[in-house]
Amino acid sequence: MIHHHPDEALLLAYAGGAADEAVSLIVATHMAYCQSCRARAAQWEALGGSLLQDLPPAPMSGDALQSVLTRLDEIKPVERPVRPASRDATPQVLRNYIGGDLRDMRWRRMGPNLSYVPLFRRGAVTARLLRGVPGAETGAHRHGGQEYTLVLKGGFSDVTGSYAPGDLQMMEGDMRHNPVADPGEDCINLAVTTGPLKFESLLRKVVAPLFGF
Amino acid sequence: MLAYARNASFPALRQTYRRMGKAWRLPQILAMTPDAANALLGRVAREQDRAAFASLFGHFAPRVKAYLLRLGAPGPLAEDLAQEALLSLWRKAHLFDPAKASAATWLFTIARNLRIDAIRREKRPELEPEDFLPQPEAAADDGLARTDEENRLRAALKHLPADQSQVVELSFFADKPHSEIARQLGIPLGTVKSRLRLALARLKRALGEDE
Repeated sequence: MIHHHPDEALLLAYAGGAADEAVSLIVATHMAYCQSCRARAAQWEALGGSLLQDLPPAPMSGDALQSVLTRLDEIKPVERPVRPASRDATPQVLRNYIGGDLRDMRWRRMGPNLSYVPLFRRGAVTARLLRGVPGAETGAHRHGGQEYTLVLKGGFSDVTGSYAPGDLQMMEGDMRHNPVADPGEDCINLAVTTGPLKFESLLRKVVAPLFGF
Repeated sequence: MLAYARNASFPALRQTYRRMGKAWRLPQILAMTPDAANALLGRVAREQDRAAFASLFGHFAPRVKAYLLRLGAPGPLAEDLAQEALLSLWRKAHLFDPAKASAATWLFTIARNLRIDAIRREKRPELEPEDFLPQPEAAADDGLARTDEENRLRAALKHLPADQSQVVELSFFADKPHSEIARQLGIPLGTVKSRLRLALARLKRALGEDE
């Protein structure tokens, strides 16, 4: 059961195509766990279909149809690729980005309790996998932009609540929190930030930029 | 039939159509109903029906082009991508599932992804078939439910207050985050978000949902 969802504006930005790639990845991966957001995104795609229908048509060039018709013979129907099933229930949309299952990842340490895998960075937007042993703390911080965190394994808790696999947390600006990994198995998250995290402890302030936070 | 005649590859028909002149462009403006578009796409999927494809092309290619122009694509690129979108429709027609989306909505997602790929040079993360959860309640869903949904949304869109429909349209046609849209309109981000919330609540009511 999912308790924390992307807000309506974010689902709309995903459905409309305005959300950038990292943000779209975290929304799509959330939807791999969440039937209701999937249905909602499909509705907002239908809104896109409605808007498309009602756009004043822009005339195509005179020979457009003819040239497309002559190309129909050359093209082959798209086949769906056959892929081996995930061995640890990693959503396929995420496997396309991380090149395998979560258990195949090579984790980089940052401190005794936390490790991470960088996925990609575009401008100020960064996507990474984060892993914390039970009890690990991120450290109290505020936000230079938005921070989206999707739980993949285990769970974490902070002042805003508890997060289990499939839950998506959205934080921004001066919202302050210090996520702590729940007891049990390691907590693994997909994390996307659109600006730097603003840590409070001096040590983390110094160390965070070294790891690209 | 008129759309078919206009686009048919038979020279005689095309000449006839040209002689008829501009008055006969009217059918292009009049909407093809969602059910008619679904039926044509079904014929493309099952029989590789070129006449059905030509009708879909005549109706949708100029709209996909208009969509790309709205998003800032230069004319020649918009023309190329609109052709690519319709080629994709031909290539993927057998994957079209009317229980999931209407033909127009499905084509919108194709055009959206082509644009992200070609103009923004990013990939589009999409759910894969492996990611689909079992859907207990979906058994009763069929293509009619989807086209009905699209009809209701189109009607409801026309009745939104101008300030609300503006932020909805910009969410699809501006390729900008809501913070940028706020800056462009010269209003606070909170106002953009509250207009969106109001608009989406109205659209949900049109779909028969309670808030």
